[in-house]
Amino acid sequence: MSSRPLRLPVAFPTVSRSERGRVLAGVCAGIAERLAVDATLVRLTFALLTFAAGAGVVAYLGAWTLLPAPGAEPVSRWRRIAGVVLVVWAAVLALHGLGLAGSLVWPLALAAAGLVIAAGAVSFGLHPRTARVLAAVLILAGVVVFLGDNTRGSASTLLAPGAVAVSLLLVLGPWAFRLARERDAERAERIRTQEREELAARVHDSVLQTLALIQREPNDPRRVATLARRQERELRAWLYPSSEPAADGTLAGAVDAAAAEIEELHGVRVEVVRTGDAPLDDRTHALVLAAREAMANASKHSGANEVSVFLDADTTHVALFVRDRGSGFDPDAVADDRRGIAESIRGRMERVGGTARIVSSPGDGTEVELELPEAPG
Amino acid sequence: MSRPLRRVVLVDDHDLFRAGVRSELGPTVEIVGEAGSVLEAVPLIKELDPDVVLLDVHLPDGGGQAVILQVAPERPGVKFLALSVSDAAEDVIGVIRAGARGYVTKTISAEELTEAVHRTADGDAVFSPRLAGFVLDAFRGGEATADPELDQLTAREREVLQLIARGYRYKEIAARLHLSARTVESHVSAVLRKLQLSNRNELTRWAAQRRLI
Repeated sequence: MSSRPLRLPVAFPTVSRSERGRVLAGVCAGIAERLAVDATLVRLTFALLTFAAGAGVVAYLGAWTLLPAPGAEPVSRWRRIAGVVLVVWAAVLALHGLGLAGSLVWPLALAAAGLVIAAGAVSFGLHPRTARVLAAVLILAGVVVFLGDNTRGSASTLLAPGAVAVSLLLVLGPWAFRLARERDAERAERIRTQEREELAARVHDSVLQTLALIQREPNDPRRVATLARRQERELRAWLYPSSEPAADGTLAGAVDAAAAEIEELHGVRVEVVRTGDAPLDDRTHALVLAAREAMANASKHSGANEVSVFLDADTTHVALFVRDRGSGFDPDAVADDRRGIAESIRGRMERVGGTARIVSSPGDGTEVELELPEAPG
Repeated sequence: MSRPLRRVVLVDDHDLFRAGVRSELGPTVEIVGEAGSVLEAVPLIKELDPDVVLLDVHLPDGGGQAVILQVAPERPGVKFLALSVSDAAEDVIGVIRAGARGYVTKTISAEELTEAVHRTADGDAVFSPRLAGFVLDAFRGGEATADPELDQLTAREREVLQLIARGYRYKEIAARLHLSARTVESHVSAVLRKLQLSNRNELTRWAAQRRLI
């Protein structure tokens, strides 16, 4: 990770000398092309700078050294360093020429050199750490020179600390940023490890146990199916918690729990589909108990290996359907002593103001429809 | 009833499951190719140009919808049927919105799966009870929307979906609602279209979670 080169916060713009419209070395034309201005303007700038103690000439030489010929590889490391020295020298000359006091120019030059080294460490072929130390030393030297030369009261005393702070930020910023990022990556890795451990624990506690149980009783298909089904339900609840909001305390949760119980007891698949949910109160609780009875009947008597349950609920109206594709029966012919239907289903629903309807005919399966209209008052 | 032979590609990352499906599907369905990942599946489907692709929602390198998104533009004739153990609504809605003609769970019986393949090949929609539940959830509530044509279900469509959720087959639904089987199918296809094209918040949220939009 640390071998990755530091991204330059301030990269050298990719300027090259220009073949087209060159007068001397194509420096001005190249810069103009890059900046998309007229080459005359650039030439004029260099010319004017020449009046400032010849800074223009030095700057031109520096640029010539720095900029590669058109289409050529970037210039070598030594040429680059030499070029920077020339450019900084030009800047010093220019600032002198413009009438700035030496006490301000030299610190600025030192700080500028520091910044350039810090920003261009990679293109100078310096190790980032060496470059940073070098930059810090140059900037500090600038500060020392500045403080040594300036008498109190000068307006620039106010600016200087700010400039130093900004410079230090530019030099040390990328380094601090990378440090922070490494720390983040470390934390993410730690969280990942924790998650992996939790997953391993979960798989061990549930899936592996179930597989062991299945291997012990391979000849009892019903038991195997029940175990597999229970495992599936557990894993699902864990993997997709959002689709199983059904915690205790809501109607949907209670229906799920009842279905799971019936599966365990009778070894029949109970497939629950639901839309919406409602709070669990006396009325909806009665509905769950009636539904549970209907599921139990379907599992015990129908001979079907799957029971479908559909819960359609909102705050005002609840409907629940239990359907099997088993043998079916004639509802009218059921003896009154079969308390399952009469008492546990119909009676329960009617006591809380709901209805139960049983649709069945021999050979066609059975459907029990339970409904709770809006609560009175 | 005589049915044309359907050419099917099976995409699932579990060999065991693929073997199970292969041995179960009826004589009217021929598995012409199998793939275990998005990378394998995409060129295979383009080459074989099957009638139907049975597609696992979860695949190691991108999921079923990645396959659909890469194949569908070049092979518009290929129909996709999603097949999964997944319970997460956003996964299922995501793959349907990518273009699958339906969704069935892996616990489906062999004859129902065969039936579902034919229905998919005929261009019909295949809704399992679970998908019907998700769709009812997604279209729940009558909030005012920009495009009621697409963003809401009609009373009849809702009725059909409720019966599917209750475990009814199309034929039983038709009998119960005194409709022709064809009419039931067209209601289900209309719901599928709404599911794929609607901008209902609920649907776009689900799709966004699967990075489809």
